[in-house]
Amino acid sequence: MRTICLVLSLLAAVPASAAELQVFAAASLTDALKEIAPEYEKATGDKLVLNLGASSTLARQIQEGAPADLFLSADEAKMDGLEKRKLLLAGTRKSVLSNTLVVVVPVDSNLKIAGPADLVAVRALALAEPQTVPAGIYAKEYLKSKGLWSKVIDRVVPTENVRAALAAVESGNVDAGIVYKTDAGISKKVRIAYEVPKAESPNISYPFAVLAGSERKEAARKLLHYLHSPPALAVFRKYGFLILE
Amino acid sequence: MKLVIRDVRLPLAHFELRLDVEITHQVTALFGPSGAGKTSVLDLIAGLRQAPSAYIELDGRVLTDTSARKEVPARDRHIGYVPQDGALFPHLSVRGNLLYGNKGDTSLDRVTGVLEIGHLLDRRIGDLSGGEKQRVALARALLSSPRLLLLDEPLAALDEELKMRVLSYLQRVRDELRVPMLYVSHTTDELRALCDEVLVLDRGLLRGRGEPRELFAAPAGASHDPD
Amino acid sequence: MMSSEEWQILGLTVRTAGLATLLILPPGLLLAWLLARTRWRGKSLVETLVALPLVMPPVATGLILLKAFGRRGPIGHFLHDTLGLDVVFTWRAVVLAMAVMAFPLLVRSARVAFEGVPHRLEQIARTLGAREGRVFFTITLPLAARGILGGTLLAFARALGEFGATILVAGNIPGRTTTLSLAIYQLVQLGQDEDAFRLLAVSVAVAFAAVWLSEWFLRGRA
Repeated sequence: MRTICLVLSLLAAVPASAAELQVFAAASLTDALKEIAPEYEKATGDKLVLNLGASSTLARQIQEGAPADLFLSADEAKMDGLEKRKLLLAGTRKSVLSNTLVVVVPVDSNLKIAGPADLVAVRALALAEPQTVPAGIYAKEYLKSKGLWSKVIDRVVPTENVRAALAAVESGNVDAGIVYKTDAGISKKVRIAYEVPKAESPNISYPFAVLAGSERKEAARKLLHYLHSPPALAVFRKYGFLILE
Repeated sequence: MKLVIRDVRLPLAHFELRLDVEITHQVTALFGPSGAGKTSVLDLIAGLRQAPSAYIELDGRVLTDTSARKEVPARDRHIGYVPQDGALFPHLSVRGNLLYGNKGDTSLDRVTGVLEIGHLLDRRIGDLSGGEKQRVALARALLSSPRLLLLDEPLAALDEELKMRVLSYLQRVRDELRVPMLYVSHTTDELRALCDEVLVLDRGLLRGRGEPRELFAAPAGASHDPD
Repeated sequence: MMSSEEWQILGLTVRTAGLATLLILPPGLLLAWLLARTRWRGKSLVETLVALPLVMPPVATGLILLKAFGRRGPIGHFLHDTLGLDVVFTWRAVVLAMAVMAFPLLVRSARVAFEGVPHRLEQIARTLGAREGRVFFTITLPLAARGILGGTLLAFARALGEFGATILVAGNIPGRTTTLSLAIYQLVQLGQDEDAFRLLAVSVAVAFAAVWLSEWFLRGRA
C-alpha cells in the first residue's frame, strides 16, 4: 500500500509531457530566442534545443530529413520551399516579425555613408550570401532597386549567415556590411552608418511554422502559440524587431 | 710529405681511438683487422669527422687543432679520398666525375693516360665494371691535385686478377705521378709491392710500425694481423 | 561539358595552388635539408611545429591565419597600413591557406629524399673542394630530385583540395576566392546537386592525376 502511494506521488510530480523541441531558427533571432527560451522552459518544463543558422542552410537540412519541430525563417521563400514539399504542418504557418536593414561599419571607423551610393567607394562589403541567405537576398534586392548592385558586386564578401557578416565587420577585415538592425543592436563593435528607410526596403518578414515531421506536435504548437503571444513579442520588440499586424 | 697526427682521442663503438704518429714515407699502409678504427683515421685526416681531441698537420700546415679550436674544412685541405666503394656520382658521366674537383692544374689526359681510362670518358657510371669504377674514383681524386691521397681498401672488393691490375695502376700513381698515399688495408698481399712503411692498428691503438718485409715474414696468402 | 564559370573556378584553383606550391619550395627545401643533414637545439620543436597543420583541424589553422593576417592582426595590420595590401577575403588568403596546409607534406617528402642521398657522396664532393652550396646544387639536389618532385606534386594536390582553412580566411567569393572545393560546398548549400557532382568529378580527376604522378616519382624506378 505504502509502495503504491509512493510510486503514484512520484508519477504525479513528473509533468505530463516533458518534451524536447528542436527549434530551427534564423541566425538573426539568436539573442531574442536565447532570452525567451529559459523563461518558456521554466514555465512549461519543455526543453528547447536551438539550431541557429542561415535560413537557407536550415531549410536544406529540414529537406534532407533533419528532425526539426519548428522552423523560424527569415524569409518567405524558404518557407515556400518547404510548403511545396509538404513538409509544413497545415494551418501553423504565420508571419510574425519584420526587420530593418542597416549598413554597419566598425565602431572605430571614420567611414561616412550618407546614402547607398557611398557603398560603391567601399573596398570590402560583407553581406550574408546574397544567393541564398535571406539577409543577403534582401540586401541585394535593395541595392538592385537602387541600381547599385552591378557596381557593388565586385566588393561583396559573401558570408555564411548574417551573424558572420556582422562578425566580419566587427573584425575590421571588411569596411562595411549590410545586416539587420537587430544584429547591429547586440554588437558593441559596430555602429550603424545608415538605416534603410522602410519605404525603400524590400518586404522583410519572418514566417514561423510547425513541421509536419515533428514528433511532438502538441508541444510544438504550444511553443508556436507562445511565440506569437505578448510576452514573447515584447522580447522581440526589445531587440528591435518590428511586429507585423 | 710530412703528416703529423698527435693527441688523437676519438671514442668509437667499442673502444677509444688513440693516435700519435708522424708519417713521412711516400706510401704508408694503415693495416689492421676490420673495426680497428682505420676508416675513422682517414675520416679525421680528410676533415670529414671531428674528434674531441686531435692535432693534424700536413706539410707544416695545421689542419686540425682542437686545443686552438681550429678545423680547416675538408674542401680546403687538398686531401684526396678514395673510399671503399668508390662513391662515384651516379648522376654524372665519367668525365663529369673526373673533372668535379679539377681546377686545371692537373692534366686530365695525363691521369687518364696513367690509369688507362681515356676511353671511358663519356660512359655512365652504371655501365662501368668494378675495376673501371675503382680507377675512375682514383683518377677523380688525383685530378683535384691533392697533396695526399687517402685510399680505403681499394682492392677489397676485387677478384684476384683485377687486384693485380689495379695494384699496378697504384704503382704507376706512386712512380709516375708521385702523389703521397696513405693506404688502408686488412690484407697483406699488396703491401709489399706498394708500401714503404706499414702502421699496424688494432682496437684503436698503434701496435707497431716498420717495413713490410720486416713485419710480414710469411709469403702472400695470410690475411690476419701478425701480432 | 563544363560552363565558362566552372572553367574559371578550375583555373583559379590551379593557379592559386600552383603559386602556393612555388612559394613553399625554397623555404620548404631549405628546412627539409636542415632537418635531414644538420643537428641543432630546438630541432624537435621545429619538426613538431611544421607537422602541426597536418594534424590540426584545418579550420583551426584557418582561424590562426585569420587572426594573424586580418587587418587588425599583427601581420595583416602591417600589410594593410604600410603596404595597402589586404590578405583576408582576397586571393592572397587562398594562396596563404594552401601554402600553410601543403608545407608539411613538402617538407616531409623532401626530407626523406635528402636523407636518401648517400652521405658519403656529399663528403667526397667536399674533399674534392666543393663549397656547401655547390655540394647541395650539384650532388644533393640532383640525387634527391625524384623524391622532391614527388613531394612537390603531393603538396600541389593537397593545395588543390584545401577547404577548411581557406573558407575561414578567404571566404567564398565568386571569381576571387571560390576554389573547386568551396564551389562544391556552395552548390550543395544551394541544392544544386548535379552541378556539385560535376565539379566533384573534376576535383577527383585533377587530384587523381596529381597523386598518381606523385607516386610515380616517389616510388618509380630507382
